Amino acid sequence: MMNLHQLPNQRLNEKVVLFLRRQWFAILTIITAFSILTGIPLLGGWYFWDTIQTWLDHPVIGPFLVILGSIYFLSIWLFAFLEFTDYYLDTWIITNERIISIEQNGLFNRTASELDLSSVQDTTAEIRGILQTVFTYGNVFVQTAGEKSRFHFKNIDNPEEVKQLINRLVQEKRARKLTS
Amino acid sequence: MFDFSDINIPIAVFLIVYGAYMLFYVLYALFNVYHLIRYGVYGFGMYLIVTLFAGGTILLVAGSTFLLMEYDWTYPISLDKTVNYYNEDLFPSL
Repeated sequence: MMNLHQLPNQRLNEKVVLFLRRQWFAILTIITAFSILTGIPLLGGWYFWDTIQTWLDHPVIGPFLVILGSIYFLSIWLFAFLEFTDYYLDTWIITNERIISIEQNGLFNRTASELDLSSVQDTTAEIRGILQTVFTYGNVFVQTAGEKSRFHFKNIDNPEEVKQLINRLVQEKRARKLTS
Repeated sequence: MFDFSDINIPIAVFLIVYGAYMLFYVLYALFNVYHLIRYGVYGFGMYLIVTLFAGGTILLVAGSTFLLMEYDWTYPISLDKTVNYYNEDLFPSL
């Protein structure tokens, strides 16, 4: 388990400045999908209750239907939990020394990478579309020197502010390097 | 002589399928919880979500068990009778 007060390979005087996850809209998507997938069969069952009751009373179809229903609702519950885990484990940590990116893709793919603030060349904030504009969330890309791939902060809250913060921290880090 | 219509399978076979699914569910859920605890960030929220998930699972399984206990699991599925369910029985509105 990761502790924000004790980062892996923590440097001397390193402090966490910002801890990021995707915006709450990601959670809302999971909740909406969960509500639709559970709500529609429940509403259907309520509307056709007389027919369902007849099926449930049947000695063969009844248990088959209960087991099928149980498997369906447990699967949705598990799916929602898996999606939440995916959301929860995607994190970006900005310290006064480096940026740490941890991305979880499904249950079996995990990428953890970090970059030193002194190697940041430029940062780009991107807000696209109506939803991102209304709810002020979007992407931030951090470009490093060389041909390394960009760091991508996906669907985070206030990307403009995050970009400005990274730029400020990069300047501070360079100033510290020069004075030392 | 072998007669196809004599074959009777108790409906308890459904429970084997259900049991296999539950095994998959428990393994997958435990693996997911392990991921959260191993790689997640320490905090109250993580314990809350794991407890919520476990609580929801217990409620769903308990509800299903309660409904399933009402049935006679020795009742046979007779291959001879499988096509003899009348529409009027299954669809009373027809």
